[in-house]
Amino acid sequence: MLKHSITIFLRSIKRDRSTFFINIVGLSTGLACVILIAIWVRDELAVDKFHENDKELYQVWNRFGEAGNIKLVDWTPDMLAETMADKLPEVKYASPFIPSGWLGSVPLTISEETHKAKGVFAGEDYFRMFSFDFLIGDPEKALSEIGSMVISESLARRIFGEPQRAIGKALRWNTLNTSETNTIAGVFKDIPSNSTQQFDFVLPFERFVQLSPNIGRESSWTQNAPITYILLKGGTDVAAFSKKIEGFSKAQNPDVQADLFLKQYSSNYLHGNFENGKVAGGRIDYIYLFSAIALFTLIIACINFMNLTTANATRRLKEIGVKKALGSRRKTLVGQYFGEALLTAIIALLIALVLIQLVLPQFNLITGKELSIPFNVSTIATVLGVTLFAGLLAGSYPALYLARFNPIAVLRGKLKKSLNEVRVRKSLVVFQFSLSIILIVAVLVVYQQVNYIQSRNLGMDKDNVVYFQKEGLLQQNSEAFLTEVREIPGVRNATTAVQSFIGNQLNNTMGVRWPGFEEGNEVDFTDMSSTMGLIETLNLEMKEGRSFSKTYASDSTQAIIFNETAVEAMGLEDAVGKTVQLWGQDRKVIGVVKDFHFQSFKETIKPSFLRLVPDHRTFLFIASIESGREKEVLAQLENAYAKFNPGFTFEYRFLDEDYQVLYESEQRVSVLSGYFAGLAILISCLGLFGLAMFTAERKRKEISIRKVLGQSATQVAVMLSAEFGKLVLLAIVIGLPLAYLLTDDWLKDYAYGISLKWSYFLGAGLLAMFIALLTVGSQALKAAAANPVNALKEE
Amino acid sequence: MMLLQLNNLFKWVQSGGQRIFLLKDINLDVEEGEFISIMGPSGSGKSTLLNVIGMLDNFDEGEYHFLGESVHNLKEKYRANLYKEYIGFVFQSYHLLDDLTVKENLEMPLLYKKFKASERKAMVADMLDRFNIVGKKDLFPVQLSGGQQQLVGIARALISNPKLLLADEPTGNLNSQQGEEIMDLFKQLNNEGVTIIQVTHSEKNAAYGSRIINLLDGRMI
Repeated sequence: MLKHSITIFLRSIKRDRSTFFINIVGLSTGLACVILIAIWVRDELAVDKFHENDKELYQVWNRFGEAGNIKLVDWTPDMLAETMADKLPEVKYASPFIPSGWLGSVPLTISEETHKAKGVFAGEDYFRMFSFDFLIGDPEKALSEIGSMVISESLARRIFGEPQRAIGKALRWNTLNTSETNTIAGVFKDIPSNSTQQFDFVLPFERFVQLSPNIGRESSWTQNAPITYILLKGGTDVAAFSKKIEGFSKAQNPDVQADLFLKQYSSNYLHGNFENGKVAGGRIDYIYLFSAIALFTLIIACINFMNLTTANATRRLKEIGVKKALGSRRKTLVGQYFGEALLTAIIALLIALVLIQLVLPQFNLITGKELSIPFNVSTIATVLGVTLFAGLLAGSYPALYLARFNPIAVLRGKLKKSLNEVRVRKSLVVFQFSLSIILIVAVLVVYQQVNYIQSRNLGMDKDNVVYFQKEGLLQQNSEAFLTEVREIPGVRNATTAVQSFIGNQLNNTMGVRWPGFEEGNEVDFTDMSSTMGLIETLNLEMKEGRSFSKTYASDSTQAIIFNETAVEAMGLEDAVGKTVQLWGQDRKVIGVVKDFHFQSFKETIKPSFLRLVPDHRTFLFIASIESGREKEVLAQLENAYAKFNPGFTFEYRFLDEDYQVLYESEQRVSVLSGYFAGLAILISCLGLFGLAMFTAERKRKEISIRKVLGQSATQVAVMLSAEFGKLVLLAIVIGLPLAYLLTDDWLKDYAYGISLKWSYFLGAGLLAMFIALLTVGSQALKAAAANPVNALKEE
Repeated sequence: MMLLQLNNLFKWVQSGGQRIFLLKDINLDVEEGEFISIMGPSGSGKSTLLNVIGMLDNFDEGEYHFLGESVHNLKEKYRANLYKEYIGFVFQSYHLLDDLTVKENLEMPLLYKKFKASERKAMVADMLDRFNIVGKKDLFPVQLSGGQQQLVGIARALISNPKLLLADEPTGNLNSQQGEEIMDLFKQLNNEGVTIIQVTHSEKNAAYGSRIINLLDGRMI
């Protein structure tokens, strides 16, 4: 029986090659999409989840502001972790953590050799909380001495060749205006790529407390810097504990303004967006988006299968009738057609797996991951499950539909095309094209938004600005170096600064008081400290007043410049000339700079101020280069760098690159959604092509009669095309409003988004119609050009 | 021995509030070993009657007994078992499956019964032999002439050893020489004990049978 069914299946494939081809191409691409996206989703869901204590691992956030204007900040007081561990019985371990972003690329020196690496500061409990395995050394004690440190396996290999040789060696590190020596007490295995924390070495947090004065801060309850992680004891009532610690910091020090907020550590990755103090999505949105796209694509492919199989049914009616007359039961027939669909799906799966292997490198490039098909039981089960689902979905309608026929009617050729059947087929086409149209609009809008972000005037130069770390000897002779840099032809300007001014991890303070300030009305300002020349280097535009200048000696300690948003937030009229207090000291407002973007376009521009700091408080050099001369100028910069800082390599970044990082996920979504939408449309069109082919065949007699009666080939072609054109038009009418709602919702995430133009929707509609008519038209023309006599003779 | 019996059998369709009778008060007894020809003009209900006898079609009123079973009271499933077991069909346009070879077409009815592969193979070989078509066993229907196709169709109908062979204009698509050969074959099968009911337009073909039933507007006359 099985052999018999397979024989029939294989021979019908041979006869209807085009149908089979369309089905296989559609289903295999659909399956490939689903599997690729499933691998990606699986990987995303697993990020940060590998820690043994994942369920009890929490991060403590600072919550500022009143209801309606609540802001969550991950920076907390230095002593928060320790105090919580001491005073709260629910807390098993707690650790402060300074992420690697603070330190940049840190030079590590041993016997005159310097290696750069990513480092963090962490508390003693850190390795008791997070499951980063040790190769050598005791994770319990590795960070208990202020003079010890731990490094990663690959860093150990890089410096010492063998991890074993690293133990007991002393490394001199140099960051945040500080240079100290720590002894390696342990080597940990390299951090897996699905961890959001990535670093090559860890220094004890006490070191950070110790060096704080070097960067102008003190360890106190009112100064926030480290992230605080805590590990709760098993069985703790998290909701009650969360409530209990709300006022914890305030209870320790009455000057503290922030409440505490508890959030599971591993939930940060997917649910990292906040709105008014509540978690509001994050990367999870992309997971939903792509899962939907995958499902859409597969459904579209399954619809093709259903449509083509039922359209093809006329050719199989005889088989059904004969089988029924010879004693086959309906169940057997249903089984046979389901079996065929499943077999098709399995063939499609094999092709899909090959496809995935082919596109995986490219897919990894776009997603920035290192994915592979994991061959284990759960994956195989999932893949087979999806295939089974696709097979059953695709086979359901044809199987039930075909097996239903009355054998006599079939055998006598009396089967009437029920209106119902035609309606089902047409609605499937409409459904399919509605999905495609939604995808086209979505891709257009995402593309436009990403484009807009990249081309929008930021209010500052980012394209030709490079920055690099102030390290080694440059810390002592930075002024001389800067003078030399400014003299390089092609360098427009250069300065030193505390941070690079692009990103989400910028220094903030609420320590500004202004005339008319009221208690409870604090504004959170971004602090942009630098030495002389930042405004000129970044090419910021002054709105009022003047920039910092050497002619005014008082500028270096008593002047401040605000951005427009800050002036507005303070409600300060005629700001220039007014006096404000920064951390209790008087500062004169000498100018207002026009707003410029230093954060993601998802954020509104924040209030910020610029001030001058002494050179030794800065960590970066920033230089702007005349456009077109980057190459020669960079070469000269490297020469100057080598002269002033022998033994160090010149590593620079363009500000532009940092800016790209802010939009990395948007970029990826834009590129990926483009590909997937393209696929969905391709599969839809394949289906339409197949249907048009069948319609043309079914209507051969009608076409012949019309031609004999004098209708021209063109008129016939138009008639056939119009039949499908109407369906696509209906799909447009259904799809466009849905697309509008979806894209409108997406754009709400952006503080600076494009506004939806009707041309996107018109464009998407026209594109869909154009592609559809192109597909159908070729078939229609072919049918219309046939000699009518041949068709009529056969009847 | 009585093979089947139709008592006061009616079949109708509703059209615009009116009943249009396809079969009207049919009473028919068929003994085993008979060779019956059903005749009548187009639309008189010949094929409908044949389909009702073959249990491919339902009727609206009356009784149908087949080998002592009351068909009108049987559930679909039992009815299917009954005709699978005892009835074979021959169609005017052969209705061989184009995707299957001669051999595979012959094997098909056996797939719906519980035969082992080896048994099926033996029965197919036997049938090919009996109909002298061994040489054609691997050909597809399109590679055969009409007469040859019908031969395969009859072989297929007989392979599971039915008591009753139903043929709906078996020679309708054949030329006169091929038609004669087929009718001779029927005669021979009938002599071997197979009960045959055929629908035909041709007096000559009807003459092969032992009894003729004439239908007009759904009535026996």
